[in-house]
Amino acid sequence: MVAVVIITGICLVSVYISYIAFQKGFTKSADDYFVAGSSLGYFVLIFSLLASFLSAFSMFGMSSFGYRLGFGSLYVLTANLVPLGFLWYYMHKKTFLLGRARNWMTMGAPFGERYGTATKIILVLVVLVASIPYLVAQIQGIGVMLEAMSEGMISFHMGLFFVPFFIALYLIMGGMKGAAWVNAIQGVFFSIMVFVLFFFVMMKNGGFVPTMEMVLAKHPNLFQIGWAGGKVWSYPMIFGMASAMCLGCVCFPQPFMHAYSSRSVKGLKAMFLSFGGLCLVVITIATLIGIAGNTIVPGLKGVEADKIYGLVASATMPDWLAAFAVAGGFTAAMSTVNGLVFGNATNLSIDIIKTMRPATKASELINIARMFVAIIMATCVVIAWNPNTPVAELSIIAFGTVAVTFFALWGAYYWKRATKTGAILSILVGVSLNVTFFFVGGKAMVLFPQKSFFQLNGFLAAFIISGIVFFVGSYLTTPGKTEEKSLSLFFHPVLTK
Amino acid sequence: MASNVNKNKKTFFLIVFLVLTVLCWCPIGYGSYGEVSLIMGMPSWAFIMLLIGAVLFVIEWIYLFWTDLALYDDDLEEIIAALKTTITEESSIKEN
Repeated sequence: MVAVVIITGICLVSVYISYIAFQKGFTKSADDYFVAGSSLGYFVLIFSLLASFLSAFSMFGMSSFGYRLGFGSLYVLTANLVPLGFLWYYMHKKTFLLGRARNWMTMGAPFGERYGTATKIILVLVVLVASIPYLVAQIQGIGVMLEAMSEGMISFHMGLFFVPFFIALYLIMGGMKGAAWVNAIQGVFFSIMVFVLFFFVMMKNGGFVPTMEMVLAKHPNLFQIGWAGGKVWSYPMIFGMASAMCLGCVCFPQPFMHAYSSRSVKGLKAMFLSFGGLCLVVITIATLIGIAGNTIVPGLKGVEADKIYGLVASATMPDWLAAFAVAGGFTAAMSTVNGLVFGNATNLSIDIIKTMRPATKASELINIARMFVAIIMATCVVIAWNPNTPVAELSIIAFGTVAVTFFALWGAYYWKRATKTGAILSILVGVSLNVTFFFVGGKAMVLFPQKSFFQLNGFLAAFIISGIVFFVGSYLTTPGKTEEKSLSLFFHPVLTK
Repeated sequence: MASNVNKNKKTFFLIVFLVLTVLCWCPIGYGSYGEVSLIMGMPSWAFIMLLIGAVLFVIEWIYLFWTDLALYDDDLEEIIAALKTTITEESSIKEN
């Protein structure tokens, strides 16, 4: 009952925050609704970007990883994401500057201006198709969590409606500003709750070092790399996972939307820098909680281990505080849904509808985006209805699918010789390879080293081939009028710094 | 002369970023298979990996906020004005 009250409270507070954004008139113009009028300060940007990326997997999944696979899990979402500080800055500095000058609002905008409408539309559809399974997995996760936390009071199916209804409501009302405020508050909330849980878990056995020594005595392999005969956390496995998660983050809609929404250069840089630093701390702590969980709730196998975060919270904290800790993971899932739904709704309304009907008024565009928010949420709820739908598995290819747009974006900003054909081919080939690998060899082929790929995983193999296709495709074709015309802006001398 | 200094600085940061990124993505040189010693309750390679992450974070912070290689708000107005001029010129050429 306590958990249900807390979650309902979180949902109501989120809607109220969005309502304030709506009341204050922050959603009147298209610029206000889609990119918060480029007015977000660095505190909101930092935590909004963090929350829009960190899903329930970052809390529950990473503690489960730590519980089952030990310290090697730290290579999945912690220090390996710190390079995003300079990678994002390098890739999105021009997104920010050109976006400010051209009033861009979507991730398709730079692709459209540099390579033409076809590339923009392909990109929007690829990102949407990649996002849907990922979103459905989050919504299913919310349904499962809600059922467990309410001890059956809210069923899985009711949970599928309950939270998405609130999310849709506050996205429709508050636009980017409302979503960013909600994300920021949720981001601060789950970061604090991870620290609180870490403190309780470690104090249970007399502190961090004694707890880890107890784990070491029982499970020495959790402290090793290359265990199980070199199969678990081998060098290729670590490299494949670490690089894939980092590169996959570069081209999602969230960094584009947040770059457009930033009020200042300082905010932009602080946001990109802080993301890796916060992951280094917050996700490390979530993973360590899982590892320490072996001393508190031993013997969990397979999917049972996914509950370790909640189980150690129940075992070490008062009931009401444990409910808050688990609600932290819940808000992480909510904020990821926010970020992706809003990013895709913006892409669809501006990059597709506005392109097809250039005369569409700003107010109509806002209403169309609101409609897309509702449609995307409803579609995800319908797909999520059957809990056995393998969307969680499918969501694995989301990062790989979006990551293959990396070369087209890099070429748009930094390579004058890049062509539309090279960009389109690289995206289509990369996406096709990811999908093929998944259906031929399952998630193992996408995530784990393959002999046939020179010990790379499917994600990296598709990424590298996509890059080769981009360069070869561009060299074999001649830049068209759109590419030639875009050079004066994309390679303006003032952009060299 | 100043551009040469900046070029050297850029090259330095690029190399540092690349090396530290590889180390954040793989325990080459600081982690080996089998039994490990502990540092503050963690395997030595995990501790070093987190330390490398922290060092990379600090170097990124220096690059972004304490060198003349990154963008600053002082530059913003001038850059946006130059870009807008180009956009206006292109629009007028198109109209003509």
